[in-house]
Amino acid sequence: MAEWGRTTLELLVQELQAPVRLDESFDRRVMVRVRRLYAERRPRGVAGWIAAAVGITRRPAYAAALAAGVVAVVTVGMVRSRPQVVAGGRPIPVQFVLVAPEARSVAVVGDFNNWGLGDTALVAENHNGVWSVSAPVPAGVHRYAFLVNGKQWVADPTAPRASGDDFGQPSSALVVEASAE
Amino acid sequence: MESSDAALVGRVLHGEVNAYGALVSRYRDKYARYAVHMLGNREDAEEALQDAFTRAYRSLARCEDPERFGAWLFRILVNRCRTSGARRVRRGQTFVHDETALLNASQEHPAEQTMWREEIDRALGELSADQREAFLLKYVEELGYDEMAEITGVGVSALKMRVMRACDRLRVLLREVHSG
Repeated sequence: MAEWGRTTLELLVQELQAPVRLDESFDRRVMVRVRRLYAERRPRGVAGWIAAAVGITRRPAYAAALAAGVVAVVTVGMVRSRPQVVAGGRPIPVQFVLVAPEARSVAVVGDFNNWGLGDTALVAENHNGVWSVSAPVPAGVHRYAFLVNGKQWVADPTAPRASGDDFGQPSSALVVEASAE
Repeated sequence: MESSDAALVGRVLHGEVNAYGALVSRYRDKYARYAVHMLGNREDAEEALQDAFTRAYRSLARCEDPERFGAWLFRILVNRCRTSGARRVRRGQTFVHDETALLNASQEHPAEQTMWREEIDRALGELSADQREAFLLKYVEELGYDEMAEITGVGVSALKMRVMRACDRLRVLLREVHSG
């Protein structure tokens, strides 16, 4: 046996660096999952989201949010800081508000709109630096973030940070409870 | 001409779901190697890799730098391997040999290659998950410590320590095999 040293390490690494080949059935299995996701979350488009939110009563949160100088999420339904999953029921209107006077654009992306995939990002309207948009969000625990200027990912500092984030971007937790009806 | 990662990501984000297949083919084998060595068997490795590709697709809009899609995907895979490894520990399973690699190795120099390969697999399986991860990233994937820190979320000093301990442990384990 050769003494452990550079040569042995090189042999070890050489063995471990040998290619591992998967066949094309792997690709097919992945793409089956991906196409299923695509079909399930086929883009509804911003207009669809906004139209679905018709009838939402907007709260005059702009002034308070401006005064606080922070990002805020306001819901017409119930939003709790502690996760509580209540499955079922129709989507609850949620209003997202971001104070960002310097921003050129703001959108909301989350797991409820496929993270903006396929042009599903919720485009916020600008009200003197306060950006807001409303959308129906299904009951349950969600992750979301604000996309500023189309590229800057901003978590909501007033909301709990989502745990277990392994995508390298900050996101916030949103808990929507089903309506009592 | 082969499309760049950024171009493919852009096409997927504009609804061309099949373009994702090109990204899967591009990174499939490259990252399978890490998953197989990290998890010790092909079945778990393929599952972790599938999971990573699926999660990456689901969150593609969150890929800040599409030109570095591969690095972003790898980060997701490293996390999936951690989760899968932890789950396996909870199930009470141990690190097992990569039978396919053993089979491939045996084609050239049957006895010696297979033995050497078994020794390596066994030694890797004896490392803690943290040490194995650091060793593979440093020596097999040939990443710099800064890249490793970015991927793992662990500080450079701690990573250096893990690599050093992994090397020490491997030295002992492989020497034991040969002297035993």
